[in-house]
Amino acid sequence: MKRTLLSLILAALLLLSGCKAGQAVPASGERYQASFLTLFDTVTTIIGYAESKEAFTAQAQQIHDDLLIYHQLFDIYNTYPDIQNLKTVNDNAGIAPVQVDRKLIDLLLFCREIYDSTDGRVNAAMGSVLSLWHACRTEGIDDPESARLPEEAALKQAAEHTDFDAVCIDPEAGTVFISDPLTRLDVGAVAKGYAVEQVCRSAPKGLLISVGGNVCATGPRPDGTAWVVGIQNPNGGDNLHTLRITGGSVVTRGDSQRYYTVDGKQYHHIIDPDTGMPGTYWRSVTILCDDSGLADGLSTALFLLPQEEGQKLLDRFGAQAMWVDAEGNEYLSPGFSDYIRT
Amino acid sequence: MPQANAFRFRRGDFVAVAFVFLCALALSAGLWMHRGPSDAVMAQIYQDGTLIEEIPLTGNRTLTVTGSYTNVITVADGKIAVTSTDCPGEDCRHTGWIHVAGGSIVCLPNRVEIRLVGDGGVDAVVG
Repeated sequence: MKRTLLSLILAALLLLSGCKAGQAVPASGERYQASFLTLFDTVTTIIGYAESKEAFTAQAQQIHDDLLIYHQLFDIYNTYPDIQNLKTVNDNAGIAPVQVDRKLIDLLLFCREIYDSTDGRVNAAMGSVLSLWHACRTEGIDDPESARLPEEAALKQAAEHTDFDAVCIDPEAGTVFISDPLTRLDVGAVAKGYAVEQVCRSAPKGLLISVGGNVCATGPRPDGTAWVVGIQNPNGGDNLHTLRITGGSVVTRGDSQRYYTVDGKQYHHIIDPDTGMPGTYWRSVTILCDDSGLADGLSTALFLLPQEEGQKLLDRFGAQAMWVDAEGNEYLSPGFSDYIRT
Repeated sequence: MPQANAFRFRRGDFVAVAFVFLCALALSAGLWMHRGPSDAVMAQIYQDGTLIEEIPLTGNRTLTVTGSYTNVITVADGKIAVTSTDCPGEDCRHTGWIHVAGGSIVCLPNRVEIRLVGDGGVDAVVG
């Protein structure tokens, strides 16, 4: 009888352990998630594992605070007390060099690099053109009845003031000067990714940070498994695919992210520097790349290029991509499928 | 009686072990079948970072979140969507019907986030 009991207990233990095996138990701590709706005009989500909610909240708050510094420096619409940001630089175009934080100098040097390597597809000096679209989009969203496109003449005139050479960056002096009074900086194409990259470099390992679709993993989960990232269907609803990543970044650029409607037609925010109009090659482009800033820039560049030219950029930077066209066809760079889970 | 008997399995033991294994099998089968894909998924609704509502993605229901704007949230067929809103841009409504854990619907103007939590989903969504 004793041994019958013993075997019952053993079997029961077996049963219990069998149940547990079904769940992914992280090596350390509980899973937590924090969201902020106040950065970069989008939603920021931080996911991680920690011993306590307090420990995680402290980590998440630190990341928020770090991102906030970039948010304020890269803002072209608002000023902040005691900060010389991009708005200050823009307001001083043609007037005077502006002393700025080293972080802003580094961002603009990065913008210069990506401008050169994408033949101007990614152009932070295109602010004059983008501001016309931004104004129309904001008005059109607030008052859809009277939504209108920017005037062609105004776009043409603005396009003449988009040469990055007018942006004089002096790293030694720590100043930026826009020599053309009509040129404006707008770093929207890389700002989020760049900020995420800088913050991820000093963040604890094993976190997943997402700033409005710019996702960066600071290493795998604590138990060594990969994070699962869904790629949203540009038409809404379920994910097109899910990817497995243990580090690096995933960024999607799509025509459904920011847009407005004029006479029943949608106009999104990714503007082709050649035409001054929204790019028409793709519905969305997803980039996989170690560097989040580069991933962000490449996503804009590839969105505005045919597949072959985009592939050349990917080869140069060791990145992968998935393109989705208007008919919903998917095109993958040779290494992209290695990351696809479903 | 010989000492060796102490280490020998008797018929009763086999029966007991078999019984427990059968129970385990039945129980896991039951648990497994109960784990429908949307069964385990819950929608947490946050406003200004505070959890204001937590609902399962089962049945049919509608709830309204007021604030600077008004979002009408609908649950049907194991999915959730913002089906009506007066916010500028209506990005939340355009997100459409979602049901996979890890997905979210955000209304920035109304400071609302609908977050799907549960097993077997994704950690984040891009696009």
